[in-house]
Amino acid sequence: MNGEVIHNDGRIRVSGRLTLGDLKDVTASLEGISAGNHVLDFSDCTSIDTCIAARIWSITEAKTANGALLEFQGMNQDIKALFDRFRAIDERPQIPVQKHTLLYNFEDIGDKVLATWDTVFGLVTFTGKAFKALFSGKVRGSVVAYYMEQSGVMAIPIVITLNWLMGVVLGYQAGYQMSQFGGELFMPALLAYSICWEIAPMMTAVLVAGRSGSAFAAEIGTMKVRQEVDALEVMGFNISGYLVTPKMLALFLVMPLLITAANFAGMAGGLTAGGIFLKMPAVVYIDALKEALIPFDLYWGIIKGFFFSVIISVTGSYMGIRVRGGPAAVGKATTSAVVVSIFLVIMVDALLSLLFIHIRPGLSL
Amino acid sequence: MTEKIIQMESLTGGYDGKVVLRNVSIDVLKGEVLVIVGKSGCGKSTTLNYMLGLHKPYSGRVLFDGVDIWSSQKVLDAARKRWGVLFQSGALLGNYTVIENVMLPLKEFTSLTKAEMMDIALSKLEVVGMEHAAFENPLEISGGMQKRAGLARAMVLDPEVLFFDEPSAGLDPVTSAGLDETILSVNRSLGTTLVIVTHELASIFAISDRVIMLDPEEQGIIATGAARDLGDNSEDPRVRAFFGRKMGE
Repeated sequence: MNGEVIHNDGRIRVSGRLTLGDLKDVTASLEGISAGNHVLDFSDCTSIDTCIAARIWSITEAKTANGALLEFQGMNQDIKALFDRFRAIDERPQIPVQKHTLLYNFEDIGDKVLATWDTVFGLVTFTGKAFKALFSGKVRGSVVAYYMEQSGVMAIPIVITLNWLMGVVLGYQAGYQMSQFGGELFMPALLAYSICWEIAPMMTAVLVAGRSGSAFAAEIGTMKVRQEVDALEVMGFNISGYLVTPKMLALFLVMPLLITAANFAGMAGGLTAGGIFLKMPAVVYIDALKEALIPFDLYWGIIKGFFFSVIISVTGSYMGIRVRGGPAAVGKATTSAVVVSIFLVIMVDALLSLLFIHIRPGLSL
Repeated sequence: MTEKIIQMESLTGGYDGKVVLRNVSIDVLKGEVLVIVGKSGCGKSTTLNYMLGLHKPYSGRVLFDGVDIWSSQKVLDAARKRWGVLFQSGALLGNYTVIENVMLPLKEFTSLTKAEMMDIALSKLEVVGMEHAAFENPLEISGGMQKRAGLARAMVLDPEVLFFDEPSAGLDPVTSAGLDETILSVNRSLGTTLVIVTHELASIFAISDRVIMLDPEEQGIIATGAARDLGDNSEDPRVRAFFGRKMGE
């Protein structure tokens, strides 16, 4: 402790050099002041730091409010300047703080609705621009190929592995339940319908949204932060054509292939589960699949893939292009890209499923 | 040197509904070096962004060669092909080499062969003293080199106007002086009009023909003229305070 605070019959002597380390002692000394007149004597004090000054000031204010009167004496220029600054802050008109009233909550909801509407409107406009650029600009084949490799070829192992595992789980669960009633022979059909109609397209879309949608948002978002997008724009480049359409076209081409691979992986998972848990011979399993499935079931996943590819690529790119500010905004953009993509994929999937029931041959309500 | 190439007419604009510039009018004359200066937050870069058509103004307009750049997307695109811009960070694309970055506008807007494009790009890199780093990754070269490579890319289509956003920011005085010399040589040799946003006093005095000073409280222009005149003769204390650092007041 370099300085100290000593009480002496209504006179409080502050001496030496008080720094942050003395905060506890200074607080304890000043808290003990009772009502009445007191003098805070700084004559022997060489300096105090901002934290000590702030504490002395706040305790002084509190004591004054409780009826004590504290007079500061003997301050050198620097110490006086510190307290003058606190005094000026106290005298400044207070900035009104927004109170969280019920009305504020409604306003907040309104703001969020408007922000969501802005996002939806922006996304639709952005999609339109991307399609316009796709049909009016030149396609840079090498860039499309690059994204096909990144989003398609490199995703194959994870897509196949996860869908195979889903097939195993579904095959085992379905087979176990059905075997209770001697109906395990229906497991291949149930599994094939689940995989081809829903599981494979959906799992693949979720994986691609997580891998590629977020990567697109991060890539374009980083370019935005580094002013690369602005540079391209003022050089006269069509941003949609240059940055978005190669990604959209690449996903459009690889997504149906990934879903097809996922279909077969899922059904292979069912075969594995059937063989291991139900002792079902492969020939029986495959014959049951042949009987249950029609080509339309496989095409359906491909059709869904086209829709999902546009949703994921455009949403990822849009979230990237909306980035403003620093690197933290890029992180938010990648999160938004994945969340919004998956939400839209599920929404579109629900609509397509309604349609599916009416158009699949041999299926009617 | 009196023909106006860019006219900003009574422009009001800002971000997120907040006004940064109010009723600002600026004429850029053909062939001049116009420097826009002012305190941080006064709207220098915002002014540049409006000139570049990166934001649509709340009101007012920006004319390039007498035509409102926002009259149609076609007009804006055509105008942009006659500009070059050097952004604060250089804004080079990190997944291309330096020379590929310089060749980008040539690839997009010309039908030149690859060999021709390489020749042009290398010649521009030579102008800025960067030919030795042509095949480097932009992310692996220094900030000064990135800016010079950015300048080469900005010049590659021989633009009529070059815009610079804080070209000296983050550079040491020697590198900054070298960049100033390069910028000036472009103006002198090709007659390119230069619009530069900076608050580096050494650069302002070295390269400007005319200076426009913006102020955040006024949300617009508080002084315009030659740098030395403003420093010596301005009656506005804000202008004297800004230029005074250099003038030794």
